[in-house]
Amino acid sequence: MTNRPLTNRQWLAKLVAAIVPGMMFSFGCMAVVGLLCHATGEARTVSSQFLMWLVVLVWLCVMGSCFLFRSGLCAWVVLGGAATVVWALFEILVKVTTA
Amino acid sequence: MKIRPDIVQVYREVHSWVGILCSLFLFVAFYAGSISMFEQSLQVWLTPASSLPKPVELSDTPQLLQKVFAQYPDARTHYTIIVNPDNARPARLMWAQNPTYRGSGPQNYVLGALSPDGELHTLVSGPSGIPFFIDQLHEQIGLPLPHVAARYTMGCVAVSYFLALVSGVIIFFPSLKKMLFALRLGTATRKVWLDMHNLVGFFSLPFHFIMAATAVVFAFHGPIFALQGKLFQHGQLAARGLIQQHGHEKSRSENNTTQIVGQEGLMPPQAVLAELHKQAPGFIADTLEYTTQSGGGKSRTTLRIAGHDERYPTLGASNGFAVVDPANGRVLSADYLPGHQSAGFAALTAFIALHFGSYGGLPVRWGYYCLGLGGAFLFYTGSRLWIIARQKREQHAGKSSKQRRTTWLLSCLTTGGFTGCITGIAILFICAPFLPLGGTYNQAFFLYYTVFLLCMGLSFILRESQREPFLFRVAGYANIAIAPVMLVAMLGGRAVLPSLGVGMVALVLGCFLLRSVRRFTCGPSAADVSPIFSQKITGETKMG
Repeated sequence: MTNRPLTNRQWLAKLVAAIVPGMMFSFGCMAVVGLLCHATGEARTVSSQFLMWLVVLVWLCVMGSCFLFRSGLCAWVVLGGAATVVWALFEILVKVTTA
Repeated sequence: MKIRPDIVQVYREVHSWVGILCSLFLFVAFYAGSISMFEQSLQVWLTPASSLPKPVELSDTPQLLQKVFAQYPDARTHYTIIVNPDNARPARLMWAQNPTYRGSGPQNYVLGALSPDGELHTLVSGPSGIPFFIDQLHEQIGLPLPHVAARYTMGCVAVSYFLALVSGVIIFFPSLKKMLFALRLGTATRKVWLDMHNLVGFFSLPFHFIMAATAVVFAFHGPIFALQGKLFQHGQLAARGLIQQHGHEKSRSENNTTQIVGQEGLMPPQAVLAELHKQAPGFIADTLEYTTQSGGGKSRTTLRIAGHDERYPTLGASNGFAVVDPANGRVLSADYLPGHQSAGFAALTAFIALHFGSYGGLPVRWGYYCLGLGGAFLFYTGSRLWIIARQKREQHAGKSSKQRRTTWLLSCLTTGGFTGCITGIAILFICAPFLPLGGTYNQAFFLYYTVFLLCMGLSFILRESQREPFLFRVAGYANIAIAPVMLVAMLGGRAVLPSLGVGMVALVLGCFLLRSVRRFTCGPSAADVSPIFSQKITGETKMG
């Protein structure tokens, strides 16, 4: 790890990373948690409303912390990786539960 | 705890840019939002008394219904019974004039009443559109866009607002202990503004975090639910039978409602309310909304009773509701019935109620009104700070004679926008008593945006030194004028007594604005340290 001070030079890349893969990541969290607690996807149920709050809060946290990444590339790699991991987990869980 | 200086610097930049870009929208949202805390009361006060005969007694409602259905069979599909009629809803019974209405503004209703000799009188009417317009201004952060576009824009502004809050906390945190109560009033302008900004910001921080998060939820819940529907549909089919209790309750309740066929089997409203009172004492019903859907030769009537309970938060801005069996008054769904919700629904309702301030009654509403105005003040001080800092930097860079264009532009936009919003809303209240029916939505729209654009135009025309004193004076006088206008309207029988309260609050606000301006133009002495504007003029004259 280098000790260069943090700057805002790549703010746009970081922000877009928080918006695109960051949002995918929060939706992925919702998908996994929803699957684990047998959410029905019916908007009037408690579970789906809590999941909706979960998405918003996770995404807001990602948005708030995206400027802490060392560079835009770093942000894309971490958030993109996290999104891929949660969605892969979701796919596996779907296979397991339906099997 | 210490935060690394480079991180603080990064968030300082984020804070100032995000702040200046959304402060104007947030100002309008907070100013209009604090007024819409009293939307219902304003609707009652601003709507003139109707010409209909006195509402029938609740016990006589079945006769009224019979007469209405004989003459207007379409009303059967969807009608509402008002428990306590007032000026905004002056009849016992009302139904939508056009059930497929998709226009802007609230729709008109047909009101039904009986004259003493039992003859049916109807009137097509709606409450004053002004409170609804102010509420829309709040929801759409002052943008005259189509509703969906405005909602998504609002969502983006709310996310930026959240960013501004997080970054603001990070900047302020290292100096929290030293600076929290520091109000360096005798010093340079920038410091006074900064201390005010920090003080107000820190003490209303939880309020602001709640507003930001709930606003994001309001804007984006639709697409999130749509995605959930798509994601979990197949899971739902696979796991059928395992799903939580809630699903069972729902299907049971639906079985119950299908038993009711036709209007004849319905319980009279008064009996329904008595039955409901036994099951949910303390719940005060406001309206009974009957909806009949027919299909396959059968018709099914559902009844939704909206109301409130002072002891519990409600989901809506002022109401919760229960789904009740119209045949026997039994509660079918208590998901949103205050005080009878499951723990999950109660928690969800609490999140939403924290946005609306729909708990704790009038004191909480006034508290939210003050916090809302405090928020508006926060955004004003924030943008002043940005402008002063920019001017200072430009002065150091040798550009004192000619301000950079962006600083000038943002200075005009913020002053014009802030005063335009305050003046526009004041003009709405001034005109309300003299407009037929207390003003329609379209009239309110036209009036507000005319005034807003005028202020914006003036802000661009006036010189730097005149802009703020002049526009604040306009906003101040417009607010002060509300009180005498309301008094005159009341003497002429066009307004009711409580609307004087609006005048009183506006009077205080107007005096505050004028007082600020007076200090601004008198030229403050060094000993005169109290108001913020005096500090600003010394700062600006210093800057040349």
